[in-house]
Amino acid sequence: MPVVKVLTEGIGEFDLRDIAVYRERGGYVQWKRALTEMQPADIADITMRSGLRGRGGAGFPTGRKWSFLPNNGRPRYMVCNCDEAEPGTFKDHMLLEETPHQVLEGILLGTYAIGSHHAFIYIRGEFERGYRTFVAAVDAARAAGFVGEKLLGTDYSVEVTVQRGAGAYICGEETALINSIEGRRGEPRLKPPFPAVKGLYGEPTVVNNVETLATLPHLLERGAEWFASVGPERSPGYKIVSVSGHVRTPGNYEVPLGTPLRELLAIAGGPRDGRTIVAVQPGGGSSACLFEEHLDLGYDFDTMAANGTMLGSGAVVFFDDSTNFVEAALALVRFYAHESCGQCTPCREGGHWLEVTLERILNGGGLDSDIDMLVAVSHQMTGLNLCPLGDSIEPFLASVVKRFEAQFRSYVRSPQREAITA
Amino acid sequence: MSDVTAPVGADRDFARIAAQVEPIARTIMAQYPNGNVRSALIPVLHEFQNVEGWVSPEAMALTAEWIGEPLSVVESTASFYTLFHRRPIGRYMLQPCRNLSCLINGAGDVMRHFRDRLGIGHLQTTEDGLFSYEEAECLAACDRAPCMQVNLQFVYDLTKEKVDEMLAAMRAGTYDVPPLPQSVKPGRDWSVASATDKKSPGAQGVSHPNDPGGLGDASGVRMIERLTKTPYPVEVRPTKERLVADGAARLAAPPSSQSEH
Repeated sequence: MPVVKVLTEGIGEFDLRDIAVYRERGGYVQWKRALTEMQPADIADITMRSGLRGRGGAGFPTGRKWSFLPNNGRPRYMVCNCDEAEPGTFKDHMLLEETPHQVLEGILLGTYAIGSHHAFIYIRGEFERGYRTFVAAVDAARAAGFVGEKLLGTDYSVEVTVQRGAGAYICGEETALINSIEGRRGEPRLKPPFPAVKGLYGEPTVVNNVETLATLPHLLERGAEWFASVGPERSPGYKIVSVSGHVRTPGNYEVPLGTPLRELLAIAGGPRDGRTIVAVQPGGGSSACLFEEHLDLGYDFDTMAANGTMLGSGAVVFFDDSTNFVEAALALVRFYAHESCGQCTPCREGGHWLEVTLERILNGGGLDSDIDMLVAVSHQMTGLNLCPLGDSIEPFLASVVKRFEAQFRSYVRSPQREAITA
Repeated sequence: MSDVTAPVGADRDFARIAAQVEPIARTIMAQYPNGNVRSALIPVLHEFQNVEGWVSPEAMALTAEWIGEPLSVVESTASFYTLFHRRPIGRYMLQPCRNLSCLINGAGDVMRHFRDRLGIGHLQTTEDGLFSYEEAECLAACDRAPCMQVNLQFVYDLTKEKVDEMLAAMRAGTYDVPPLPQSVKPGRDWSVASATDKKSPGAQGVSHPNDPGGLGDASGVRMIERLTKTPYPVEVRPTKERLVADGAARLAAPPSSQSEH
């Protein structure tokens, strides 16, 4: 079994919330080394060479994202995105609550690497406990001299601001997140300009996921080559995969990218007694379903993309043969309808009407044509919005309607069915 | 344990609440670079809600004053976020997750049980002001499904029995999550949209999206049927010529008929 312990090392065994425990286990060594021995460009170089791709959903190479910052002498900001709310994802929640200092060390390294002096972490409003945990971690790190003015005898100063959201999935989108930090409604901005050019307070800004930043101390410790040598060439490294759904032991499992989906299923205890897995959603609520014939595919960014879906945030939901896919589709459609910020008409109206249509199908009042319309409307919603939320309904809905069409048809009044009952 | 059944609202003193929040708010406002105090908007509203249990109009007005923005800015922002309650809510906010991983692991039964036991639905508060109920979206704890939050603290692996025990402990005042403050007795609906009945014409008669059947749903059905069942009547489609002619006719018409638009 290829379960590894890199970011998850020590979780469940030690109280890593305690800065003393974290330091005993090698914590903040890389931050000290970076400050005293390394230039920001060295860290950016290691990150670039490691091939690390963003762990928040888009999978954009982190080193390249940093390289887009203009050299214009303006203040820069590092923003850590901990607004984890993608259905099925619960890795950042764990990292935040169980190993906050590792997250903070990653944030500090990233902030230093991009030449910034002010970092923000935006924590989902529901993570009230995680917020308190992280505020305590920043206070402890400040007392230990890792955050603040002129650190460790150098000229480098850094401030960390912990910001708590207030319940909006859309704030995980980076420009919506920036608006939220600025005290605005969490509505995504028109791009370009991208945040690298004009982000928080109109200044160059990098927004990175919690897991992405928490990887940085390990990259510095073990080197870019160590990371790049794991998994597929264009999709290297380890990834925390949140496995849930119809498995015996759901949980966060850290594996090399490229691990077959079937192996992930086995790691999570396999299917329940007497059940078989019929579908898997490999990348959070916004990804298309794969089916039993796909279980031998490797779990990495490019293989998932080549098969019409995505790795996303690393949330894998397995479905067994007891699943009602009409209800499952409603759960996700309702989610996107509820979380639409309402700026773009296709997303705001499309999501709502799909929800109402699915409700009607489930209540027995649906029409045969409704099922074709579900696919048509969700497709019509894509590519027309400021952000990807409106595009997120189609993948799951279209893939399960196509595969489990009989389940959907069994709910609706069709002329054939009425002829039989008459 | 605090008494969760004590009457509320009679001795609400907003000046005292404001005095309690102000020093925290000033500290928060000072932490943003280059005087960007508007960033304090959401954290300050959180602080008011921590003290009062909800975000009152007075709290929003005072926040606007502190950060130097119009009240409309604060109200607009507060109304965007689901964790801000702009009406008083119950002492225990119960939020079971209704999203995918919980749903396929029995959240439907748990939610039905909550509704039965509490006698209220989604976005409602019980008569005694003790419980508010909201079916929430994915709470990022899918490994312990079905899960929920009680006053933002997680409860995992829900069963009907666990729900019964939880409600009994809350009624007895022995539950281990402290009750929320409550400066004003809540009404039945705490979502502003349902409390004020401000709905678009299309949504009239639809009490909730979960309960279709009003005018909005019927018009949607008609629209869908027209789209799927009948070919689009090409002859009534507005042509460029027709638009020009309509515009000219409207300009030529007497002012009284224009004002109807």
